Amino acid sequence: MKRPVLTLYCLLVYAFLLAPILVVVGASFNAGNFLTFPPQGLSLRWYVTFFHNDVFMRAIRTSLWVAAVATVISGVIGTMAALYYVQHAGRWKETVRVAMLAPLLLPEVLTAIALLFFVYAIGIGTTTMIGMVAGHVLITLPFVFINVSASLESFDPSWDMAARSLGADRLTRFRRIMLPLIKPGVIGGALFAFIISFDTFTISFMLKGIGTSTLPIQLFDYLRTNFTPEAAAVSTVSIVLTLVVVIVSEKVLGLRIHRF
Amino acid sequence: MTPPRRKGVGPLILIAPAAVLLGVFLVLPYLNIVVMSFRMPGQGTPYGPGYTIGNYTKFFADGFYLFQVANTLWIGLLTTAICLVVGFPVAWQLARGAMRFRALAYGLVLSPLLVGIVIRSYGWTILLGNNGLVNRTLTGMGLIDHPLPLMYNALGIVIALVHVFLPFMILPIMAGIQGVDPSLESAARSLGASRFTAFRRIVLPLCTPGIQAGCILVFVLSLSAYVTPSLIGGLRVKTMAVTVVDALIDTFQWPWGSALALMLSVTGALCVVIFARLTRMKWKVARP
Repeated sequence: MKRPVLTLYCLLVYAFLLAPILVVVGASFNAGNFLTFPPQGLSLRWYVTFFHNDVFMRAIRTSLWVAAVATVISGVIGTMAALYYVQHAGRWKETVRVAMLAPLLLPEVLTAIALLFFVYAIGIGTTTMIGMVAGHVLITLPFVFINVSASLESFDPSWDMAARSLGADRLTRFRRIMLPLIKPGVIGGALFAFIISFDTFTISFMLKGIGTSTLPIQLFDYLRTNFTPEAAAVSTVSIVLTLVVVIVSEKVLGLRIHRF
Repeated sequence: MTPPRRKGVGPLILIAPAAVLLGVFLVLPYLNIVVMSFRMPGQGTPYGPGYTIGNYTKFFADGFYLFQVANTLWIGLLTTAICLVVGFPVAWQLARGAMRFRALAYGLVLSPLLVGIVIRSYGWTILLGNNGLVNRTLTGMGLIDHPLPLMYNALGIVIALVHVFLPFMILPIMAGIQGVDPSLESAARSLGASRFTAFRRIVLPLCTPGIQAGCILVFVLSLSAYVTPSLIGGLRVKTMAVTVVDALIDTFQWPWGSALALMLSVTGALCVVIFARLTRMKWKVARP
């Protein structure tokens, strides 16, 4: 190594970044009733408790359902917007970009408050999931947009013209030229949208109704009153679910997800 | 060669759903917050009939809330400064270092973003609590007699916030440094500039946009953070975002909560504008 001090410093920062995550995973195998150090032996008992806990199981189902619905909606809307942005926006390009990234740039807590008032103002309140899903679509939309428009960066309009000059109709051109180009971006953006939606807190917290808590909210509520390692087991399962999504996308589909 | 642009409304159909979504679920609701902040407090309802500026006069009359805004800004400022100091060398190595494990290092920087914020804050409560890992280790080694107060105070909040937002500082700075041609630095060195001078006069001004972006991002995110301050700060230290959410969710004071949220946003935005002005001015002076 050329610069040992810098390397060591960076390793310390990486350790700092990983520490709380590793600690949670480690704590989930604690056999004791409380989070004690050193752990009182290794055990999977808290995983068993978790899998038999109806409240957490329902929260996981709600989280997966909301994330799936939000991903599909923001996937479609975000992809269409990215196509417009790259091909047709013209002098409105910068405006479209800023507008599409707005949910990412605005404080999530403010967006959540705004939506809370809004669903009550139009009279549906939090009795339906409309508010929560709308919120999740809003905050995941930028990620689909970023990924799809990044995959279109290499798009050369002359390819489209060449295909047209060879007699391809609009549908064929879309299917044979555009679709293969944007496919990695759409899938990558959708996977990222799913992860963001699955993990988001503030939007869900403000817009949850009775019995529609997502996993992060249920975990947060649990942590305010309980100190058993069950919360660590819940967290570890949630981390593993996310990791599976990432590894599948990177290894199986060979994608690089654009975060910014 | 310019693409043949179809005339008419055809392509607009592509952007229409996004425009409607953003208009209905973002623009209108945001305007509604402003209206809500001028409404009368309700009796048993979230808000009453009629309008008032009372929510704002209450904010300025009561020193407690001004203090809390100042405290929140301070925590945000501290978090941003520490993120910058901690993150810059890492961004530098990611951008410039000849590393065999660059992909792994990049993955390590990104990995916290893939873990939910509740889980990360929970991890810090395990580490920082009075009976937490850090205090237990230090007592076990005989270095301290009493547990250090690491949680339920501003220190704990800042430590956890630095962890949560560090990737948002590292990534834009890394992109900024990658945009600076290393040969510019070599040119300065060959003209007799010391390594430090070359860095200060050539590299730093050129990657300032990345640093600015990272700082603004981290600052704004820390101001509006809710989960971390409420889990680490507990009931003892409250940031403004926590007070706002409690006012809305627990006590249903919608107009009051809106006014607080807007005052925090306005002061935060002012800080960002001042920061942008100052940094730009400074670099102008620094350059010959």
